[in-house]
Amino acid sequence: MDRIPIPALKSSSFSLAASSREEKLARNLSLGPIKLNEIIKDARREGEGDNAAGEDAGGGEEGGVPEEASEPDLAALSAEIDAFLAGRGGDAPPSISEVTLDKFASAVEQEMAQSEGADDKWATGEGGEAPTLLAAIRRIAALASALTANHAEGATYTIGVHRVTGVLHRAMTFVEDEFHGTLESASHGGDPGSATGRSMKRPPSFGHGGDPDRCVLPSSDGGSGAGAEPSPPFPPEIVDRLRTMAETMFAAGYVTECTQVFLVARRNALDAAMQGLGYEKASIDDVAKMPWEALESEIATWIKAFRHAVDAGLPGERDLCSRVFPDEALGRAIFVDLARCAMLQMLNFTEAVAMTKRAAEKLFKVLDMYETIRDAGPAIDAFLGADSSGDDADEGSGSGSGSGSGSASDRIGSSSGAVADLKSELASVRSRLGESAAAIFCDLECSIRADAGKQPVPGGAVHPLTRYLMNYLKYACEYKDTLEQVFREYHRPDADEPDGGEGGNPFAAQLMEVMELLHGNLEAKSRLYKDPSLSSIFLMNNGRYMLQKIRGSPEINAVVGEAWSRKRSTDLRQYHKNYQRETWSRVLALLRDDGVITVKGHVQKPVLKERFKQFNAAMDEIQRTQGAWVVSDEQLQSELRVSIAAVVVPAYRSFLGRFAQHFSAGRQTEKYIKLSGEDLEAIIEELFDGNAVSMPRRRT
Amino acid sequence: MRAAMPATDSSSAAAPLTSIGRSIRSLRRDQIPPAAASPDLEADAFQRRAADLLGDLLASADPAAADLLSLAWTRRLLDAFLLCLEEFRALLFGSGAAAAARPPLDRLVADFFDRAVKALDLCNAVRDGLDLVRQWRKLLAVAAAVLAASPDPAAPLGEAQIRRARKALTDLTILMLDDRDGGGVVGQRNRSFGRCNKEPRAHGQGHHRRSSSGGSSGSGSSSHLRSLSWSVSRAWSAARQLQAIGGGLPVPRPNDIAATGGLASAVYTMSAVLFIVAWALVAAIPCQDRGLHANFAVPRNFPWSGPVTTLYERILDESKKKDRKNSCGLLKEIHQIELCSRHLMEITDAAEFPLPEEKDAEVREAAHELVQVCESLKAGLDPLERQVREMFHRIVRTRTEILDCLSRSNGTE
Repeated sequence: MDRIPIPALKSSSFSLAASSREEKLARNLSLGPIKLNEIIKDARREGEGDNAAGEDAGGGEEGGVPEEASEPDLAALSAEIDAFLAGRGGDAPPSISEVTLDKFASAVEQEMAQSEGADDKWATGEGGEAPTLLAAIRRIAALASALTANHAEGATYTIGVHRVTGVLHRAMTFVEDEFHGTLESASHGGDPGSATGRSMKRPPSFGHGGDPDRCVLPSSDGGSGAGAEPSPPFPPEIVDRLRTMAETMFAAGYVTECTQVFLVARRNALDAAMQGLGYEKASIDDVAKMPWEALESEIATWIKAFRHAVDAGLPGERDLCSRVFPDEALGRAIFVDLARCAMLQMLNFTEAVAMTKRAAEKLFKVLDMYETIRDAGPAIDAFLGADSSGDDADEGSGSGSGSGSGSASDRIGSSSGAVADLKSELASVRSRLGESAAAIFCDLECSIRADAGKQPVPGGAVHPLTRYLMNYLKYACEYKDTLEQVFREYHRPDADEPDGGEGGNPFAAQLMEVMELLHGNLEAKSRLYKDPSLSSIFLMNNGRYMLQKIRGSPEINAVVGEAWSRKRSTDLRQYHKNYQRETWSRVLALLRDDGVITVKGHVQKPVLKERFKQFNAAMDEIQRTQGAWVVSDEQLQSELRVSIAAVVVPAYRSFLGRFAQHFSAGRQTEKYIKLSGEDLEAIIEELFDGNAVSMPRRRT
Repeated sequence: MRAAMPATDSSSAAAPLTSIGRSIRSLRRDQIPPAAASPDLEADAFQRRAADLLGDLLASADPAAADLLSLAWTRRLLDAFLLCLEEFRALLFGSGAAAAARPPLDRLVADFFDRAVKALDLCNAVRDGLDLVRQWRKLLAVAAAVLAASPDPAAPLGEAQIRRARKALTDLTILMLDDRDGGGVVGQRNRSFGRCNKEPRAHGQGHHRRSSSGGSSGSGSSSHLRSLSWSVSRAWSAARQLQAIGGGLPVPRPNDIAATGGLASAVYTMSAVLFIVAWALVAAIPCQDRGLHANFAVPRNFPWSGPVTTLYERILDESKKKDRKNSCGLLKEIHQIELCSRHLMEITDAAEFPLPEEKDAEVREAAHELVQVCESLKAGLDPLERQVREMFHRIVRTRTEILDCLSRSNGTE
């Protein structure tokens, strides 16, 4: 294009009203100090000298009407422009006057000024036709691109080109403002989880540092968006409006401007939505310092927020992107950018949690987070979609009128990279949680080993370690499938561990190891009791507890397996036998006529007396000690009592039956026969009650 | 069941060591060849290696990468850090394994990782900063594309093109000011400006915003683009974080050095490298509450104290330069953005249309520079971000491995 001759050659008369309107517009539309207006005014002033000519060239529609009304209206000018544009494909391109171009540009400006503040300016007409303003802006965009596409033509309409492109730029600024305004204001009515009240609550600028008010955010807007019901961020009519504006900006090549406004607005809205769900950004440092109770509830909030983002928030954004942006690949790229920012931010918290000091009680929350991320996988894959490959076009060399489009393809090009980054971050966080869960579970070994107390539990009762571990394992087995997965994928076994031992189920192997360790630990603890009977009771109690827990939970039972339970049952029977032997075989021996009581058909009374005395003493001792022992499992308690009574009571009754007659009634009988069969049964019935106080002796 | 694990509370020193050895074997299996040298020699070698790596950053054979605080240089800085960390890890798992489980080294190692965790938040903040620079680049790209490319290279730049470019550059300037404000480097100067722009957001009304702020070109739209959220909490401060990383870094005492076979010095070395790298990153990249006030001094008798000190001083000098003092990041490319956009704004200010031929040529030349800045940003930002991420992950991994290993040995005691 040649230099534009500075003074315009001809122009129409311009009303005073028009130029003051233009100044007003310039102010409202944020025009800078560039001096085109001056040029045009110069041109006008010059034009005013020989005005009539210009008016005729303009189409002569003005007639004799007063100046204000004599302006051709937008519709008429539009028709003229359309005719000009339509004719351009032909052999003889039509021409158009600079005056018409200028008038049309002014008319578009006026249209913008009038629609300022009007709510319905983007509304589609009743017949479905585009709103006037929009049609005007589109027309001027088409006109600008037509005039600048062809150098020779551009040179023909020197002033016109400048005027038209200038107004187009204003129009774009106007649409950008509207676009932004719509994104900001309409979202208030839309998604309850999004931007509501954000800007009121948040300080207007980045942190001052130590201002304590900064981290205190009112919780009043929390919770409202908690439901994970996919709710579109905007009602359909707003989406249509946004799309209309985006299309307009795209058509004029203002792609980057449009997408940037959109991206920032939606990023902030997503951010606010997360806050609406109660999720607060926390630095890794903060998380590390948080007490577990607080962190536990933060994790619960995180899970809720993450699920919401995956199930409702991001799919909503994806729909929005695909509806607002005419270019599918670009819309997707913008969405990926949004998703990446939102996800990375949320995953940061997860990283922080995985990094906190490991503790047994954290296992379940870590697993909850792991499952949340794992289960979100398909949904995330669905909205991220298959990797699209876009060529990484160089934006600097993009064509002039579509100057933003180079940047658009740049965005698309990097979006597959962003998808890959995001996926790898997800995988990394997931494996970090998995490793952490596996390590916490493996730390159980350490805590069992560390539990080497020298103080036996009174009464041979269930050891707290048994209780804690078995309940822990039972709970852990409710996460059995996840734990198995975690162990298969993320557990780093020690070098001396056989690979794929225990049927290739490292979690089961680890669990069995814990059970064996516990078993070993309990055997060691049983040796702390001086009384071998009590040792047996202790082992029985604990073994029984373990078995009960295993049988009570199908999950843990499935891992442990029937063989192990059978083996433990055998052990239990052995403890029982040991107990019987230790405590009762001695007692039974007293009741046996083993050739000492009856010698050659004669009852040896002193021996008999001694036997009764010993028996009474033994029962006394047993009642006193074993009444204080504890068997809290009712079934085990009754099994024990029944098994004792089944051997001891008949033996005693028969002993009584045979030898009671040898004592003279009264004093002697009273002295030696202190217990009846019923008394004996009653004593046995009160064993293992945990009553430490010695019971008053029963007398008949 | 692992027979080797002591079932009781045996306090013999051998027990933890065998278990460490085992973990090390499993961890090192594919990574590091077994080291036979003594800890002393290896710790010395590590210190010299750190000195070399830092020294390379000060003087490079490749002039493009030698440019202090350029994107390329920052990437090399991160490379150096990653190499150092890797060698440090090898050292701890190698000859240092035995000592690391015992006092005083266990305490020193734990202290190092506490500091390293603080660097993780910095990595995230820097990532945010890079995101911000990426956003700036978009605006720059608009201006560059508008000015540098025309359907017909012979056609002079028109009013609309200049206006559009100026609007993008004005938005850019405001964003950069906004960040600098937020960064806390300059303090209050632009506060009121920022608040005024924010106000419409508080009302949540686009119309209101527009009618209230219709001043000069671009400022009206600037608030569209503002306030990309940071991923760290609002109260977080890069300056404070730096102080936590480098503050009170304990210089190892001679008897500790002797007792640990020189490993105490190695831990100190790694801590110093961590600090200088974190400090340089904060210096270069926009961060929330950026500030370089953290004092840092190392005794002269370490082989790397020379390069670390020089690096520290040179960056500090850079930050004190008149035209950089108020910058939101010392990254060379940020400076170029500032220069380029300021230059373009100046030469297009009060332009007469059509542009005179020499003016047009001037604008085009400036636009060409703009294109180049855009290209170098485009080429450098993503890889740098990946490296920052890599730094994050490597710190996490190394910490987990080593602390695991130490706790396992303690747990079985």
